Amino acid sequence: MNEKNPSRRNFMAPIAKGAAAGAAVAGAISPGRLFAASMPIPSIRIPKEVTETVSEPTRLGSFEGQGMTGAEVFARACKDENLAALFCCPGNYPVIQAISAAGIPAYGGRSEGSMTSAADGFSRVTGEVTACSGTEGPGFTNMIMNIAVAHRARTPLLVLASNVTLATDDREYFIQTGYQQPTTEGLKKYGKRLIDPKRVHEYAAYAFRYLKTGVPGPVHLDFPGEIVRARFTDASQLTDYYGKEKYRTESRPHPAPKDMAKALDMIGKAERPVIVAGQGVFLRKAWDALMTAAEKNDIAVVSSGPMRGHFPDEHRLSASLSTDALMSADLVIFVGQYSMPARNEYKFNPDVKAIRVNPTAEDLGRNWPLDLGIVADEAAFLELLAQDLPRKRRESWVSELAAARQKYEKRLLDEYEQGVKHSQATNTLHHAVLCKEVHDFLYKGSIDPKQTVTGWGGWTIGNCAARWLRAYRPGQEVNCPYQFSAVGPDLAMMVGAGAAVQLGVGPQAAYKGAPVLVVTSDAGIAYSMFELDTAAKYKIPVVCIVYNNNAWGMWPSAVGTPRAMHMYLFQENLRYDKMAEGLGARGEYVRTQDEFRDALKRSYTAAANERVSSLINVQALKEFTSARNYPPGNMINPEPSVGALAH
Amino acid sequence: MPWQPGHRSLTVTAPNEGALTYDASFRAMPVREWWRAAVLLAAAAIFLVTACLVAASAADDTRLTAAEARKLKSPIPYTKKSIDRGRLIYSQNCTGCHGTDGKAEVAVIAEATDLTSPKLYKNGTTEGEILRSIRDGAGDQMPPFKSQIDNEEDIWQLVNFVRSLWPPAMRPPLLEDKGK
Repeated sequence: MNEKNPSRRNFMAPIAKGAAAGAAVAGAISPGRLFAASMPIPSIRIPKEVTETVSEPTRLGSFEGQGMTGAEVFARACKDENLAALFCCPGNYPVIQAISAAGIPAYGGRSEGSMTSAADGFSRVTGEVTACSGTEGPGFTNMIMNIAVAHRARTPLLVLASNVTLATDDREYFIQTGYQQPTTEGLKKYGKRLIDPKRVHEYAAYAFRYLKTGVPGPVHLDFPGEIVRARFTDASQLTDYYGKEKYRTESRPHPAPKDMAKALDMIGKAERPVIVAGQGVFLRKAWDALMTAAEKNDIAVVSSGPMRGHFPDEHRLSASLSTDALMSADLVIFVGQYSMPARNEYKFNPDVKAIRVNPTAEDLGRNWPLDLGIVADEAAFLELLAQDLPRKRRESWVSELAAARQKYEKRLLDEYEQGVKHSQATNTLHHAVLCKEVHDFLYKGSIDPKQTVTGWGGWTIGNCAARWLRAYRPGQEVNCPYQFSAVGPDLAMMVGAGAAVQLGVGPQAAYKGAPVLVVTSDAGIAYSMFELDTAAKYKIPVVCIVYNNNAWGMWPSAVGTPRAMHMYLFQENLRYDKMAEGLGARGEYVRTQDEFRDALKRSYTAAANERVSSLINVQALKEFTSARNYPPGNMINPEPSVGALAH
Repeated sequence: MPWQPGHRSLTVTAPNEGALTYDASFRAMPVREWWRAAVLLAAAAIFLVTACLVAASAADDTRLTAAEARKLKSPIPYTKKSIDRGRLIYSQNCTGCHGTDGKAEVAVIAEATDLTSPKLYKNGTTEGEILRSIRDGAGDQMPPFKSQIDNEEDIWQLVNFVRSLWPPAMRPPLLEDKGK
């Protein structure tokens, strides 16, 4: 076949020849073999319509002429609110088309669930509100797990879905009927099925009020056909049609003076204070104030949350690798820690005094008894702290942090050295060796250590990768399984994060265009591997490392029940690299440390220079999880720390 | 050659090739095939023996054997103070798998042992055996905690706490704290 001219005539000609030959040999050769023998297989390629249509001029709806549809009214509100991006699969057509036409970056992918996680990933590395969309019924229900992931991570995610028509409610008319709002009960901050066309702008305002104030979380709107297809030729036809400066406020709660005075007094009396800087610090872009406050008074900082980097891991005051020192802290200050641990989940002394700063009052005191609860915006609190704290040096505390960090790193190296022996003994690659190689490549080689946004997931490999990956600047690391511990959204989330880096949004501006890297498992990759097609289509360069140990991470659970083991295992030696090649990415297959090092370098180079994604299939053994046969097995990370999974 | 009833087949795992199945109905094989099979078998045998030797050398030689563990005697008396210290260590290292009450009812990340029922322990119930399970790991799932709880005295305190979870009749006698 002529690849340059894939016309129907060119396509059919060899088939016709084959058919004639087939008739001659009277069925001795199957038509399939004949087809393969006579035609080269066409290359995977990006349709020119993709590159052409993403650069089409933008068009905002207006009341002029035929007026605006409900979908256009909604899209206009999204544009006014600087909605950062939309990730979707076809369905909810008027809405996704209006949002795309309005000039909001829009991406179409391969499953609604993965697109939801891509939007989540975009938000985690930028702090911006992002949207996902799917069709009613199956498209929407495909999104559920991923909405739950975003909910536990408190992502400001706008979930959109079409939902048949008001006229056919409760009739099971045609296909895809579903009651959406009850389905997302417990998974959202706010939700609404729109039932009155003239209130479409009013509910857009509702959505952004919830998304942009207080503690964020997913907002779910479902759109019956009458809402999105209604037409409006005048603003008076819409209820509450006014701009964001009138329907929501930028005012933020500031700490009460007496609370602030008490906080300063407690910090003054403490010898070993530590701030746990949660995602609220990132979302409110308060990292500079955090740094100033910490440095002024030698307060240790652990960064926590679904994204990391709002306090750099290499800083002398970072306690993110100093877990052994946390037990001697005498004051902990939680700032913007939305997912609160119970006391025994964090490695603090139970007698540690505690301050918690949260933008809303209702969560203060949950899980952790407080000596002081402060209702305040994170940025407002940290700016005041930076301003009012006296200069103070805490040499012994800083030395303790450094010693604990050294001990932590020594443990990592011990694990690595054991891993090297296991790798050499089995001719497969141990997870600790893989992770140290990634660490050295990203942070100790020729690449700017701040450049690459990373993400991690999976069980054995996820726990290990979390110990080795670092964050040196805001939004540099995504903790994909944060709190909900979902298996599988990792790659999709990092495709979304990669889109944000390509656009240079917010804290990614300085590294616009850089590749992103994700470390995941063979169990995890199955859930979102097809998004390599999406990455290729939009030239989002992702280096995806798959730790292929032939099993679900929980396989040891079946050791005591032999008849159950088969349920935990996959076929051995599956070739995820080949599957990736079939999706338009590069594939690499490795079993040794040297092979991995070379493959990582090639993959990163292709990503950086050609914007081509790669999947590196790292063949491992499930038995590496076993502490008995391959010590130390799978280690669970203490929290709070670089390796935190739950909080 | 595809497997057929009556054929004996032999699966050989060769480096870089995954699982290869060779026909082992030797009588029908030409000499060259015999030679090829023999070389592959020898290579596989050498590989497996080498792998076992290297694996043995890679094993953590600081781990206690069951016999060594059984001989150990705790230097930390079974007192309320020790149990309290053990409870703190337990709460920060063990609850994820064994639960806050030791019953291991939350099977989120592992199928852990119910610590309140010593009859269900798979790796022994002497104080030394419990220390061994904590320190060196147990079974295929429980990781060694000696790097996270690197003060052995603390592991003994944890042993005391674990024994305090047992049915009252099975617990050791509680001793007075010194200095009271």
